[in-house]
Amino acid sequence: MNKLIATLAGAAALAAATFLTPAFAQEKGTIYYLVPTLLDEFQTGSVSAIEKFMGDVGYKTVTLNADNKTDVQQGQMNDVIALKPSAIVLAAVDFNALKPQIEAARAAGIPVMEFDRQITSTPSDLTSVAGTVEIGHVAAGEIERLLKEKNGSVKGKVLQVLGDPGDPYTLDIQKGFEEKMKAFPDVTIISKPAMQWEASNAGSIVSDQLLANPDIDLVFVHAAHLAVAAVASMEAAGKKPGDVLLVSSNGAPVGLDLIRKGWEQVEVEQPLFAQAAALAMFADKVVNKQEIKPGKYEVLGLDGEVTIETWGPNIKLPGAAITKGNVDDPKFWGNMKTPESKVTPVP
Amino acid sequence: MISTRHRAVIEFVLDHLVWFILIAVVALFSFTVPSYFQIGIFANIVEQSTFVATLAIGLSLLIIAGYMDLSVESVMALAAMVIGILFAKSGVGLGLTLTPAWLIVPVSLAIALAVGAVVGASNAFFVVRLKMNAFIVTLAAYIWGRGLVVALSGGRSAQELPAELRFLAIERFLSVPLIAWVSIAATLAFAFILNKTPFGRHLLLVGGNATAAYRAGIRVDRLTATTFVLAGAIAGLAGWLLAIRTSGATANLGVGMLFQTFAAVVIGGVSLKGGVGSLTGVYAGVLLLASIQTAINLMGMPAHFTQLIQGGMVLVAVLLDTVKIAIRKKLA
Repeated sequence: MNKLIATLAGAAALAAATFLTPAFAQEKGTIYYLVPTLLDEFQTGSVSAIEKFMGDVGYKTVTLNADNKTDVQQGQMNDVIALKPSAIVLAAVDFNALKPQIEAARAAGIPVMEFDRQITSTPSDLTSVAGTVEIGHVAAGEIERLLKEKNGSVKGKVLQVLGDPGDPYTLDIQKGFEEKMKAFPDVTIISKPAMQWEASNAGSIVSDQLLANPDIDLVFVHAAHLAVAAVASMEAAGKKPGDVLLVSSNGAPVGLDLIRKGWEQVEVEQPLFAQAAALAMFADKVVNKQEIKPGKYEVLGLDGEVTIETWGPNIKLPGAAITKGNVDDPKFWGNMKTPESKVTPVP
Repeated sequence: MISTRHRAVIEFVLDHLVWFILIAVVALFSFTVPSYFQIGIFANIVEQSTFVATLAIGLSLLIIAGYMDLSVESVMALAAMVIGILFAKSGVGLGLTLTPAWLIVPVSLAIALAVGAVVGASNAFFVVRLKMNAFIVTLAAYIWGRGLVVALSGGRSAQELPAELRFLAIERFLSVPLIAWVSIAATLAFAFILNKTPFGRHLLLVGGNATAAYRAGIRVDRLTATTFVLAGAIAGLAGWLLAIRTSGATANLGVGMLFQTFAAVVIGGVSLKGGVGSLTGVYAGVLLLASIQTAINLMGMPAHFTQLIQGGMVLVAVLLDTVKIAIRKKLA
């Protein structure tokens, strides 16, 4: 029954998106963006960013939401292939399950670009990622600094609150974080997943762990909305801002607010704007099936690097550490100021 | 031949089986899980039970009346988001203030209850007036309710509720936060209503045999509609409490709690066939699930095991229910 309703809802959304498309669609055609969910601020922000940047280079974007359901996204891919758009931008719910649909789209002559979630099991036409493992590395570097400042050397106890353990995004951050922290044997890491990325689950983990391990120095959560619940639990446990250090990732607005209030020390940003802009910069080349050359490209002021991987051209953009010193910089997507400057296609 | 005294003991154990299981499980964890045996952890278990326990009140009432309500989780999220949008100061929150400031407590509570009651009334209209299947109607509400949360918030979150509300999550009585006491009080109040008032007794009768209840002069439709509205309002209460605990609302707040609530209701001894159940048993079921979750939080066990254990416990609960019925038949 769930499947039937999800399929009907998907079909209705697709029909609405198709038939309500204005006649003055941008001259270069329509690109479908398949967003995995609209239940978190990064994904919601990605919709407006992709629509804006693709509009800059002459494409109309239609967005379909899969509600975090792999089967729904597979159905959306099949439906979109039938509509023969100029290209598909896919942020996959499941990194591997969409492989047959990606192959079917490309076989039908429709280029597929991957946004944010790297699929390595089959080739696609362009992948734009922040590098989730690298986000873990950046977080590890910042946590190394914070522990040194607090304890005199890199030692102490870190509670790592992951997102849903079925989501490769959080597992990659964990991998990057833990591989860097291996160099510091005096740091104990306790890792717990917040099922379904649900905030109150993260809050419960923090409450329990603050009791079981009152000597926790730092909490590292894998998304800013989990940081809010973590702070609520710290506050309920009688902690004041700074008593327990807090680091989060993705750079959502709520995380930046927590930095301003002193509860959080570092937010590792996923460069949402640059990731979206990179797709738009190369959209003409992808749609016209022209070669994308490897090398360095400046994307909204960030140094992106295109490499040619077994899964196709891949542009990686560096995540940035947001601290109290730079929290108000408008380049961070969490400040909700979409860059006004227009993206131009790579010649 | 069993003596009257033995029969009474067996009946007592059967009636409170879930409490005995809870005690056994907590004792086991206290001996085997490091740091588990401490007042703070027990207080955490009670606190973490708050939302599922509150949701379970309304769901139990409807299941006892012979109906199903899949919408409670989304109604809770909707109420939480409405409170977040109106009163939170960051994100999509409008940061409304009232004078005097404490007025925010009754006003926000009334709004959350009203949001829930409206969805409950909508469910009641379709089920009672239009005679539509409750499973389908509430499944639709489950979907559109969450959709409305996303639409209202634009996928963003509302954060930083004022201190006048947050104190309910921070201040404690007997080591337990006040929000948990609200949930306990609601459970006890509805347990009393279910067991000691005509409304509760009629509900049990309707769930047991709606036709017989109708012939006995009970206004079945009115009772059913009232129960749907109550279940919605109670889900609104859960949303209010959840928003206070997390200091706002995110678009995915409470995702997955519906299944925990169903598990707790079944473990707590409410028959899915209707007409049987006690809210104190359901509360014990919620505590049992939270105890296991807390043990997993403290142990090195991967979180995937939580769902595995919860699923197993639901099966065991249904099996126990079957065994209880068989024993009672033998006693009769």
